[in-house]
Amino acid sequence: MWKELLKSRSALLGIAILAVLAILTVYSFVALPSNFSLTWQNGEAWELYPVDAPPQWVSLFGVNTAATVTTNLTGWTSQTYSVGGSNFSVYSASTTIKWSSKAFPQEVAFVPTYSGAPSTITLTWTKPQGGSITVSLAEPASGEAYEAQSPDFVSGASQYILNQTGEYQTQLSKGQVISTFFGQPGPGILSSSPAQGTYSLSVQVLSSGAVTMSGSPFVIVGTSYGLMGTDSQGRPIDLGLLAGLPNALEVGFLVSIISVVVGIVFGGLSGYFGARKDSLMQWVALVILAMPALPFLVVISFTTRLSILVEVLLIAALSWPFYAIIARTVALSVKSQTFVEADKAMGVPSYRVFASHFMPRLVPVTVAYTVLGIPGGILLAETLSFIGVGPVNLVTWGGILDAAFVSQAAVFGFWWWVVFPGLMIIISALPFVMLGFALERIIAPRVSAK
Amino acid sequence: MGFGRFVLTKAVSYFLVLMATVSILYLATYRVIQKVITSSAAALGEEYKQNLLRSTHLSGLTPTQVQVLVTDFEKSYLAQFAFSQPLPVKFSVQIFRLLTLNFGQSYVLKWNGSQSVNVIIAGYLPNTILLFTTATLILIALGTIIGLLAARSAGSGWDRVVPIIAVVHSSLPAWWLGFLLIAGLGYDLNLLPTQGLTSVPAPTGALAYALNVGEHMVLPVLSILIVGLGGFAYVVRSLVISTMGEDFVLTARARGLPESRILFRHILRTASPAITTQAILAITGSFGGALVTEIVFNWPGIGLLTYMAIFSNDLPVIIGITFVLTIILLVGLFIGELVYGLLDPRIRVGNE
Repeated sequence: MWKELLKSRSALLGIAILAVLAILTVYSFVALPSNFSLTWQNGEAWELYPVDAPPQWVSLFGVNTAATVTTNLTGWTSQTYSVGGSNFSVYSASTTIKWSSKAFPQEVAFVPTYSGAPSTITLTWTKPQGGSITVSLAEPASGEAYEAQSPDFVSGASQYILNQTGEYQTQLSKGQVISTFFGQPGPGILSSSPAQGTYSLSVQVLSSGAVTMSGSPFVIVGTSYGLMGTDSQGRPIDLGLLAGLPNALEVGFLVSIISVVVGIVFGGLSGYFGARKDSLMQWVALVILAMPALPFLVVISFTTRLSILVEVLLIAALSWPFYAIIARTVALSVKSQTFVEADKAMGVPSYRVFASHFMPRLVPVTVAYTVLGIPGGILLAETLSFIGVGPVNLVTWGGILDAAFVSQAAVFGFWWWVVFPGLMIIISALPFVMLGFALERIIAPRVSAK
Repeated sequence: MGFGRFVLTKAVSYFLVLMATVSILYLATYRVIQKVITSSAAALGEEYKQNLLRSTHLSGLTPTQVQVLVTDFEKSYLAQFAFSQPLPVKFSVQIFRLLTLNFGQSYVLKWNGSQSVNVIIAGYLPNTILLFTTATLILIALGTIIGLLAARSAGSGWDRVVPIIAVVHSSLPAWWLGFLLIAGLGYDLNLLPTQGLTSVPAPTGALAYALNVGEHMVLPVLSILIVGLGGFAYVVRSLVISTMGEDFVLTARARGLPESRILFRHILRTASPAITTQAILAITGSFGGALVTEIVFNWPGIGLLTYMAIFSNDLPVIIGITFVLTIILLVGLFIGELVYGLLDPRIRVGNE
């Protein structure tokens, strides 16, 4: 069976995609903190992200956007001076930022992060053409974001404008500060376009005591973000999709294996028994089949706080009859074979007839339908999340799409917020469909047992 | 005799299924239902109390007497649900109320000013039936034709398309496709309306109104079709191909009958009971997806009602929807069985 499977091109492609999904799953466990779902719902965590921003690569297609760049200042060096009997230390770090966007960013911010008590932190922002802006933060608070509108940034920008134009401006808007940071030097700095090239940022921390600096980010908030853009709260779509991957696969896999195994055993026995027991079991399957899954799960979600496991069990409890119908057909076709009747006539115990003739034909069916059933499980779980009754405190693709629907993303043209989560649902289903179909094609001749 | 008896046995069997399904649903939702009953009793009691207090100067009732009356009122309300009766009585009374579509009053949602759950559901249901029936009929007709044509050209390029269709069928959410259609065809090209049942204000005149509704139906029907059509056509194709190998087809060919006659009169007729079974499965399978599609298109059907009820925590409406849909689904399955019986000559004529 496996050799035949490896010959099928679509099965190989399916296995390849599956491997990529597996790597991404592992990566999501490594890259995202375990409490990421709480962070996702915490608006403050996403303050320094552009809102409703398209993916960064749209600029390749001529859309005029500014990139979002986060640079962590690391590699701090220290020097200690002694002046007039008192010691003080200077910690410094520097970095370069390549800027190629033709648009201005919408915000710049520096988040000093340290332990100790520095007296001042000085940022020196050097432009590609030379000339630099100096921003001094006096007794800054650790972890706080100093943005373009903070007085320190404004006075640094005013000083630079004075140097360039000879005029002194005190009331600078956020946009003017950003123009000062990124504009072409010269008298027309406030009305120029962004200067492309390599900017450099050096940071000096002055302190009389010991200070431990940790990676302090300098964030340039553009108008586009990363691989897949952001939503209305600035949350990167790619991170959300990564966080949703493990739970989607988990639900899909568990739902499928539980419902297929239950369904195949039930349907197989039903077909094997035949007669009265068969019609009774068919009736039971019909009772379950008649339950409308969606509203039923909605009602249940009002009584029980759904966890992934409860959700899985509920979906499985409603979907096994489909597999029971299929297994019954297989069992009935086996039953009509002469070798089964011969075994029965020879007095072979019924459990051995079941094990030797029915099981070998039901097991491959189980494997194929488990694989084929995974997309259905993923789809139903994401659909539930989309209408707002999925497991609580979980980042799901359906939940991201629900937020897109509520924010009318399709109407406002935030296509990245709609397209990528949907594509993710399809991509996660793809390998299972391809593998399942290949499996089905391989086992079909064996099952028909001619 | 044969078909009449078939109908009768099926009717009995389906009624028993209905009883069993409703009982299971009732047990699964028992806690919610009791919560709804007690909260409704409290709300109605409070309303009754306010009315009494407002008219105390006329009736001359003391606050204590009012309290007694309110308690009696609440008790008699709860008695309608056999609330403090032994469990078997309570179960049968409450299940009977559900079976007779007695769902009480909604918390928040309204239809034309009425808060009766029945009126609300009756207001939204026709739109769902309109949308879903249209989509299903088109799907079955087109799917059967495409499946037949595909079966005739089996072994050609179509076989390479099969995996793609399978992917579309089992992994594409119809509601997500709706999103894309809205963004692409609706807003960017401004070809078709994307929201609601009619334009606002709705056109007057029966024909103009019907055309307007039809126009609003195009995108939702399209998204249900795109997702379901390929899968159904694929099933029809497999069933037809397996029938093609039968001896009677060979005989028909040997008799020199035209290929189209063999396809439609011989093969399709033989395969139709199996196709019906598949159609029934496809319909029950796509129903949930179609409900969610309504939400995206703001189509005022049961799906949208469910979504609104979830947001407003309107439990009586959700319970009502669950039971009404169960009944409708069973009626649909029953009709499917009857069609199956009509198509299968062994059942229609009776094989005693």
